[in-house]
Amino acid sequence: MYDADVIVIGSGGGGAVIAKELGEKGLKVLVLEAGPFYGNKKWQNPNSERGGEWSSSYNDLDVDLYKKTYNSYENNMNDVVSGAFRFGPADRRRDPWHRVMKQKGDIWQVSGVGGTTQHYWSQSPRAFPSAVDGIWPISYRELIPYYEKAEATLPVQFSPTTPKEELFYYGAKKAGWTLIPTLNVDTPGYRPNPNAILRANEHLMDPNYSMEQLSHMEGCTLRGHCVNGCTTGPTMDKIAKRGTLVSYIPLALKTGNVSIRPNSFTIKILTEHDPKEGLRATGVQFRDTWTGEIGELKARTVVMAAGCIESPRLWLNSALPYNAWVGRGLTNHYFDWVGGVFDEKDLMSIMGMPAVYPYVGHTSGARVDIPGIGIFQVSCLSPGLMSFLTYGFSGAGFDAFNPPEPGEPWDMRGRVVGPELKELMMNYSRTMTMLLLTDDEVQFSNRVEVDPLLKDENGPIPIIHYKPSPKTLQRRDQLARYACETLQAAGAKKIIRSDLPTGFLLHLESTMRMGFVVDTNCEAYQVGRLFIADNSVHFNGIGGPNPTLTTQALATRTAEKLAGKYFDQPAEIVK
Amino acid sequence: MHPAKSYALSASPHTIATFRALVEAIVPNTPELAPFGAEQTIGASELGVQDYMIWELDHTLALFFGMELTNFPLSAPTAGMLNSGAVQLVASGHAQHVPNESLWETSPYSAIAPPDRIRVLAMLEELIVDLGALPPPYRDDGGFVKFIVDYLVRGTMFGHYSEWSAYGTTRLDTPTERRLEHFPIGWRQAGYPGVSLGYRALMGFPLTIVRKGGESTIV
Repeated sequence: MYDADVIVIGSGGGGAVIAKELGEKGLKVLVLEAGPFYGNKKWQNPNSERGGEWSSSYNDLDVDLYKKTYNSYENNMNDVVSGAFRFGPADRRRDPWHRVMKQKGDIWQVSGVGGTTQHYWSQSPRAFPSAVDGIWPISYRELIPYYEKAEATLPVQFSPTTPKEELFYYGAKKAGWTLIPTLNVDTPGYRPNPNAILRANEHLMDPNYSMEQLSHMEGCTLRGHCVNGCTTGPTMDKIAKRGTLVSYIPLALKTGNVSIRPNSFTIKILTEHDPKEGLRATGVQFRDTWTGEIGELKARTVVMAAGCIESPRLWLNSALPYNAWVGRGLTNHYFDWVGGVFDEKDLMSIMGMPAVYPYVGHTSGARVDIPGIGIFQVSCLSPGLMSFLTYGFSGAGFDAFNPPEPGEPWDMRGRVVGPELKELMMNYSRTMTMLLLTDDEVQFSNRVEVDPLLKDENGPIPIIHYKPSPKTLQRRDQLARYACETLQAAGAKKIIRSDLPTGFLLHLESTMRMGFVVDTNCEAYQVGRLFIADNSVHFNGIGGPNPTLTTQALATRTAEKLAGKYFDQPAEIVK
Repeated sequence: MHPAKSYALSASPHTIATFRALVEAIVPNTPELAPFGAEQTIGASELGVQDYMIWELDHTLALFFGMELTNFPLSAPTAGMLNSGAVQLVASGHAQHVPNESLWETSPYSAIAPPDRIRVLAMLEELIVDLGALPPPYRDDGGFVKFIVDYLVRGTMFGHYSEWSAYGTTRLDTPTERRLEHFPIGWRQAGYPGVSLGYRALMGFPLTIVRKGGESTIV
C-alpha cells in the first residue's frame, strides 16, 4: 500500500539532510526534486534530455559529468532566466518558473538536486544565541548537538586568509573590532567565516604540484568560484564546497535506502481522515517536468523541504486546513552591499600586493558579527555579478540624481551608470565588496501567498511581498555605517553603498514558523505525519547569520523526532 | 515553445533601437578611456547587449493561458514602456537635452540623450508617469514597472560584464548550445583573469576547528 516510509519534497539545504538522516536509520525514503540532477549517469544531458527517472545508487554519481555542467562561467551558471542555476525546469530551452513580485528585487533560488546550496557561498554559522533563547519555542542549547553533527558531516571549517580577508581584517581591527574565536557568538567581533568548504589543499603552495593536479585532489584551491559552481575535487563526494549535492546526497545514496527522482514537481499533498489520528498526510501528487505526466506516491510520512516559497505554496494549493500563519512572517535579512575602491600604493603598503584580488579565495571568507544588529562579511564575485550588485541593483535610485549628504560614510549611494560605471569597473581588481545581513524583525504582513488568477503548469503561482519594519531599517542603516567605517579604516578611497532593494531575496526564512504552523518537532499542527525541513520553520531570521546550517541542524533533529514518533526509533544524539 | 534564435531576431527595429539606446546609456562607449587600453572604450551596444536583454525578456515569463502553458515575450512591451516614458519626459519639459528628431519616429527613447534615458528610468521607477499610458502588462501596474526597470539596469550590467558576448555567433542559441569564441571583453575591461583552477594565495588560517570524539574545539 505504501511506496515508502517517507517522501521528502525537495533536495536542497534541508531535504538532502533529512533524507540522509532517515536513510541511515533504515527508513525507506523517496525524494522528489523539481529541478535537474547534475553529475549523475542517469542524466547524461540533464538540461536537454529527459534521461532516467530515479537514482538510488552512489555509483550513479559521476564527477566528470558534474564538472562538465559546472563550468564556472558566470553567465552560463548564474543567469536567473536561463542559467544552469535558476529556479526553473531542467530543460533550459524553457522559461523559468515565475513568481509575482510587485517590487524591486529578485529571488535567488535554484532548483535541482542540492537546491540553492549549488551556488550558495557555504557560510555555515550558528544562529546568534540571543535570537533563539527565550524567543524560539526551543532553546539554543537544544540545537547545539545537532549543530555539532551537521558541522562534522559537511564539514564546516574556518576560512583561510587570502588577500581580501587580509585587507578585511586590517580594516576591522583598525575600526575597533576584536577577534571572537567561537562558534557561539554572544559578543560582537570579527572572525573567519565558518564555511562548509574543505580545508585548503596542503600542497597548494607547492609548485611541484600543478594546478591541474591540485584541481583533482581533495581540498580547496581558492579558485573563487563558490557562487559559480565549485569543481575542485577527485570525486563528487569530495568536492571542496559542500553544497548538499556533494555532501548529504552522496551520503544519502550510500545508505541504500534513499531514491531520488529529479524533474518532478510536487503539486499536491494527499491526506486522509484517520479515526484516531485525525487529518494526516498519506502521500503526494507530482508532475514530471519533461512529460507533464502526473504521478502519485504514498508513504507513511511526508516531509516538505521545498523552501520558504514553495512549501507554503504547496500547502495552499493542496487546500490543507486554514492557518493564518501559513506563508506569513517572511524574513530575509534585508541585505545591503557596500564596496570600497583602493589605491594601488595603499594596498602595497598594507599587504605588499597591488590588488585586492576579489576573484581569489572563498567567495566570502571573513565577517564581523554584531548580535542585535547583524553581520557584514567580505564577499567578492566575478565581474558580471559584482558589477550589478555593486552598481546596478538598488532601492535608492540613481546616485547621480540623489547624491549622499555630506558627512555620510559613503561617497555614492544607489546605482552608478554611464562613464562613471566604466571607470569604477576598471578598478574591479582593487575593489573589496561586502554583503550585509540584517537582524530582520518578523512581520505578519511579509508573506508568500498564491495568485488568485495566474497559474503555471504546477498550479497557482506564488506572490511574494516583503517590506522591512522600522526596526529592521534602523539596524540595517547602522550596519551599513559599521561596514563603511571598516572600509574607511582599511583606506578605501571611494566607498559605494548600493542600498539593495527590499525584494532581493536570498535568505528567505520563517514562512511556516515553529510554534505557529509546525510544533517543536517540526510536524504540522493541523496535518499529522506532515513535517517540514527547510528554512520556513525558523521562528525568526536567527539574528542575521546565514540560515542554512540552522536548517540542517533542525532537519537532523526532525529526522530523529519523526523516526521516534512514527517508526519507534530511539534518538541518537540527545541522551 | 519557440526556437530562441529566430525569436530574438524577430524583434522589431523599434524594439532593437530602444534596447540599444538603453544599454548605451548604462554602459556607454567611452573614448576618453582609450589611454587605459583600446578595449576600455567599448560599450554595451558594441557587444550586442541589446540582444541579450531582448532574449532574456522574451524567455522569462510563461503562464497558463486557457489550457496551455504560454510564453509571454516582454521585450516589445518593455520597449513600449521606455518609449512612452521618453514621450512623457519630453512632454513634461524635464528633458535636459533636445531630442534627436530624426530618431523620434523609430524610438523616442533612442532620440533622447543618454542622461535623459536614465532620467526616464528614474521617473518610471518612482512612478512619476501616467501609468495608464504604458502598454500592457505594465499599464496601471506600478509594482511590475518598478521590478522591471530595476532589472533593466542590472541585466544590462550582467550582460556586459559577464562572458555572454563572447559566445559570439552562438550567443542567442539555447544556452546549452553556446560556445565561447574569445576571451570576454567585459572581463578584460575589469581585469578579471577568467575561470581558473586555483590560486596559490594561501596566507594562513586564523582559526581552526578541531573535532575529536563528537566534540569540537577551536585553536
